[in-house]
Amino acid sequence: MSGRARVRARGMARSPSAAEVGRMQASPSPLSVALSDSEASSSSDHVGTSRISQKYEGGLSSGDAGCTVKERGGKIRREMTDLSVCTREKLAHVRDCKRGSSGIPVKLVTNLFNLDLPQDWRLYQYHVTYSPDIESRRLRTALLYSRRELSNKAKAFDGVILFLSQKLEEKVMELSSETQRGETVKMTITLTRELPASSPVCIQVFSIIFKKILKKLSMYQIGRNFYKPSEPVEIPRHKLSLWPGFAISVSHFESKLLFGADVSYKILRNETVLEFMTDLCHKTGMSCCTQTCEKQLIGLIVLTRYNNKTYRIDDIDWSVKPTHTFQKRDGTEITYVDYYKQQYDITLSDLNQPVLVSLLKNKRNDDADVRMAHLIPELCYLTGLPGQATSDFQLMKAVAEETRLSPLGRQQRLARLADDIQRNKDARFELETWGLHFGCQMSLTGRVVPSEKIIIQDHICEPVSAADWSKDMRTCKILSAQSLNKWLVICSNRAESVTESFLNCLRRVGRPLGFNVDQPKIMKVQENPAAFLHAIQKYVDPEVQLVMCILPSNQKSYYDSIKKYLSSDCPVPSQCVLAQTLNKQGMMMSIATKIALQMTCKLGGELWAVEIPLKSLMVVGIDVCKDAFSQGMVVVGFVANSNPRITRWFSRCVLQRTSADVADCLKVFMTGALNRWYKHNHGLPARIIVYRDGVGDGQLKTLIEYEIPQLLSSVSEASSNTSPKLSVIVVRKKCLPRFLTETGRTLQNPPPGTVVDSGATRPEWYDFYLISRVTCRGTISPTYYNVIYDDNGLKPDHMQRLTFKLCHLYYNWPGLISVPAPCQYAHKLTFLVAQSTHKEPSLELANSLFYL
Amino acid sequence: MPNRRASRNSYYFFVQEKIPELRRRGLPVARVTDAIPYCSSDWAKPVSTPLRRPGMLVPKQNVSPLDMSSLSLKSDQALLGGIFYFLNIFSHGELPPHCEQRFLPCEIGCVKYSLQEGIMADFHSFINPGEIPRGFRFHCQAASDSSHKIPISNFEFGHDQAIVLQNLYRFIHPHPGNWPPVYCKSDDRARVNWCLKHMEKSSGIRQDLELLTVEDLVVGIYQQKFLKEPSKTWVRSLLDVAMWDYSSNTRCKWHEENDILLCALAVCKKIAYCISNSLATLFGIQLTEAHVPLQDYEASNSVTPKMVVLDAGRYQKLRIHRPGFSHFSSSNQEQRSNIPTGDYPSGVKISGQNSSVRGRGIIRLLESISSSSSNIHKFSNCETSLSP
Repeated sequence: MSGRARVRARGMARSPSAAEVGRMQASPSPLSVALSDSEASSSSDHVGTSRISQKYEGGLSSGDAGCTVKERGGKIRREMTDLSVCTREKLAHVRDCKRGSSGIPVKLVTNLFNLDLPQDWRLYQYHVTYSPDIESRRLRTALLYSRRELSNKAKAFDGVILFLSQKLEEKVMELSSETQRGETVKMTITLTRELPASSPVCIQVFSIIFKKILKKLSMYQIGRNFYKPSEPVEIPRHKLSLWPGFAISVSHFESKLLFGADVSYKILRNETVLEFMTDLCHKTGMSCCTQTCEKQLIGLIVLTRYNNKTYRIDDIDWSVKPTHTFQKRDGTEITYVDYYKQQYDITLSDLNQPVLVSLLKNKRNDDADVRMAHLIPELCYLTGLPGQATSDFQLMKAVAEETRLSPLGRQQRLARLADDIQRNKDARFELETWGLHFGCQMSLTGRVVPSEKIIIQDHICEPVSAADWSKDMRTCKILSAQSLNKWLVICSNRAESVTESFLNCLRRVGRPLGFNVDQPKIMKVQENPAAFLHAIQKYVDPEVQLVMCILPSNQKSYYDSIKKYLSSDCPVPSQCVLAQTLNKQGMMMSIATKIALQMTCKLGGELWAVEIPLKSLMVVGIDVCKDAFSQGMVVVGFVANSNPRITRWFSRCVLQRTSADVADCLKVFMTGALNRWYKHNHGLPARIIVYRDGVGDGQLKTLIEYEIPQLLSSVSEASSNTSPKLSVIVVRKKCLPRFLTETGRTLQNPPPGTVVDSGATRPEWYDFYLISRVTCRGTISPTYYNVIYDDNGLKPDHMQRLTFKLCHLYYNWPGLISVPAPCQYAHKLTFLVAQSTHKEPSLELANSLFYL
Repeated sequence: MPNRRASRNSYYFFVQEKIPELRRRGLPVARVTDAIPYCSSDWAKPVSTPLRRPGMLVPKQNVSPLDMSSLSLKSDQALLGGIFYFLNIFSHGELPPHCEQRFLPCEIGCVKYSLQEGIMADFHSFINPGEIPRGFRFHCQAASDSSHKIPISNFEFGHDQAIVLQNLYRFIHPHPGNWPPVYCKSDDRARVNWCLKHMEKSSGIRQDLELLTVEDLVVGIYQQKFLKEPSKTWVRSLLDVAMWDYSSNTRCKWHEENDILLCALAVCKKIAYCISNSLATLFGIQLTEAHVPLQDYEASNSVTPKMVVLDAGRYQKLRIHRPGFSHFSSSNQEQRSNIPTGDYPSGVKISGQNSSVRGRGIIRLLESISSSSSNIHKFSNCETSLSP
């Protein structure tokens, strides 16, 4: 779709890294979720040489002991810390009501389900100690659960902390139990807390309950999501199978406890590693078999179906065979063949295969020895898509067809999940013992704010579709454009003729836009990055306004070296175009138009505007992104408008060494932006609204305590009397809720401009959802805005509409985008620096959109 | 509004230009009127309009009439002739702290350099990294793929570690006596040091070679020459330049043929180029083929003065904007306000000026910062002057 096409058109199509796919597209399909879901498992029990989970001897084998509070607790806890940050109570103007009123009400169906609890519901937290002390969590659990007192109660236990939904008779209870070996163990259970349903701890317990329930529906947890291997979708043509599944969460929304679920898919290849290896060896011959196998396999994620866990292949040990023995945790030696026979009842067929080695993440964070798991290739299935497959259009299409669900399809899947939960006897029992009632799907009322008019030089146009107004403005003059008098084109010898015709086209499309393009100086060079860079170094002088490079291939080194040199060493705007793009004859005009628009922006031009009722408003976008090259470096991008019309942009970018994605240098950036504004407008802006993107879970507090003071101090220092008023909004593109409109019998994506500020929002925050995109396929996901600081005191209505207006101002796309334009600009800037230049861009370029 | 407009004269615009600088100093100036008291002293200073003289070569003695010549010349001689070695060793990634083996050395590059002569000799070799610790193949492979791309196993050019180390020591130190100073970038120091120790251990050769950082070297040279300390950020940006990435005769043969940028030899050579280009020129040394890849350099020189010297003008401009550079920029500003006839290129004449000014008075610093914005245009002329 758009994102990709745009990338191509600019000649910078590169292998779609996870960041690119996730960010650029903000894909409405769950595909990206499942694709990026390839982290190696860090779950509790592995088949490993050093730590092999063994069956507990005898009758105390514990079936339901698996789930604990600690397990996978990381993510939950980080979300929890965010929830404890109550920003709304400090904002007087929204304390009572944070809802807007303008726009046409629209009824929306959500992917949230009511969870009802009795009024007086309590969770009881107990501490359990053992005497004599027992290490094994399994044994601890088994001993505790064997007691009659607890057998009928709803319970969750992690080895130390026990949660019950009913109070035990005594505050401190002493129980004793007997192990298989006949030892008597005394257990002391002490009540530590009584928790109301609103407590964050309860949310964790609810998540655990739902984990158990999904397990009962024969779904397996892989990564963070739950998948159902029993109903795979097969794509035999590409040897793929998709496991359907869900991402789930339980949390407190505005007034209610809600269960949210979103459809997700796990992509698996119907090929074991062993098959893959033999295939490879047939193709390449035995001589270099080991090398090619290592080259192709190392780094891939495999799934072992006997326990549905994922592992990354870190190494291949060719010296170990399945007939070799390894030491189990209890010290006994066993061969791999026997182990799999005993443990999983699997017979290995190939006794000469090597073993795969996977490093296990150290959960306990002690710097002890490295733990490794040995895996049998025959039992490992490849997951995800291979590198070359992502460029295989047919394959991607086939996958997208299955995974990109229509609104109706999505709703059907959700309804089925809800149905399963309510019908399954075990699931229902689990819920009932805890006193929970799984209710109906929630619907709520949103509002569709009025559509925006686009202001172009000589008139105001009301686009037919807010998604794409390129047709509406085909013959219109843009707001302002510098004429391009002295510029350079560097191309390879082969691309000479196509370059010529492209330049003609560029001149032709430029004229009606108001963008005057003179004849450039054309340099022909050899096809290698060095030749391009030499030519640039040789012919760029201070008068050159822009350098255009017609790249012979999408090899990253061309783009990187050109951008690095021209954005920091010798600051001149540059435009890279793939020669391949220019070969598409039929599309020449539209390609040339897009490139012309982009070039105007890079020269400091303005394309269009929307009406902004607030005079003297500065909007700021901040994004943070990890540097692709060196670990521990993050790139912080800052973009702010320098005119009240919000058409000119000032930018700063810096690389900082830190582990957290928190920006250090905001004071300098903000002061720079205010200086720039002052220079242009001879005064300071009255209001500043900062949109902060790239915030992870659990960072809200840091943001409030560390970033906002930086912004505030530069704002207050800017002026002695009345300093500009500041608001800070956290923007998140990934959020669980989805909204669909019901039209007649079917469901549709809501129209752009749909705002949701009730029901699915949080009581402790001043937050809202905004749908500012249109998609023709799949289901749209809303963008979530959380106003964490607000001096401006704008009415919620105005804040929402302003945010929607800003989604119209991204000059790289003549249509709506999913985030406010300054955020997208900041993202583009950080992406360029993190992926290509790895160096702070020169300040001489700070006033143009050179990073588009 | 109307009466304010009436009062606009050249002083108004002068003050207006100063406002950003004043703000940076933390002064509460919202409007021109607020700023007037802070600007009057600057206004009183004579301002020289520098002449643009492209291609002007500044003779050494002309540079600083006020030079404490004998002293500085003597140390100059010592500096110019002094021989440094730049060393780098690449590894297949870095293994986590709990591993015994932290690095897997795979390529080494070293150059012998002096300001006067440029690169006098170079040394390069691939190293056999040895067995990759079990389980870390992916880690190492990924690290290699994202940087130097040297194959992690079965690489035909990898030499035995002991032999490489012997050759390196023979290169650095062919004759008995004191060891010359060996430098590498501060970011690489831990790795290079570890690799040297590791290779010493495995080969049984022990030479306690002291590894210093290039950044300190640059600061040292600068300090000795100009009696001023440049900012670390400036030094870092001086050393991190993309312009020679593809220069001929910079990378090793293998990296050149495979067109991979990161090469241990190239890193060392580029340090030499950067130092030649920015520091050696300040000593008035005629740059030769040994200092910088001259064919690229000359070609660009004729067409585009803007890029001949990347550091001087550009970084001075940067310095004005960045608070971190304020120290350094003070030296340039200083001389402007003191020498009315200052038509020398700013990059060159610094030394003389500094000798006349002592200490780092905060007032002068502030003055110099405030005056900096008005003479941005001036630095452009130094770029041409540094060409041979």
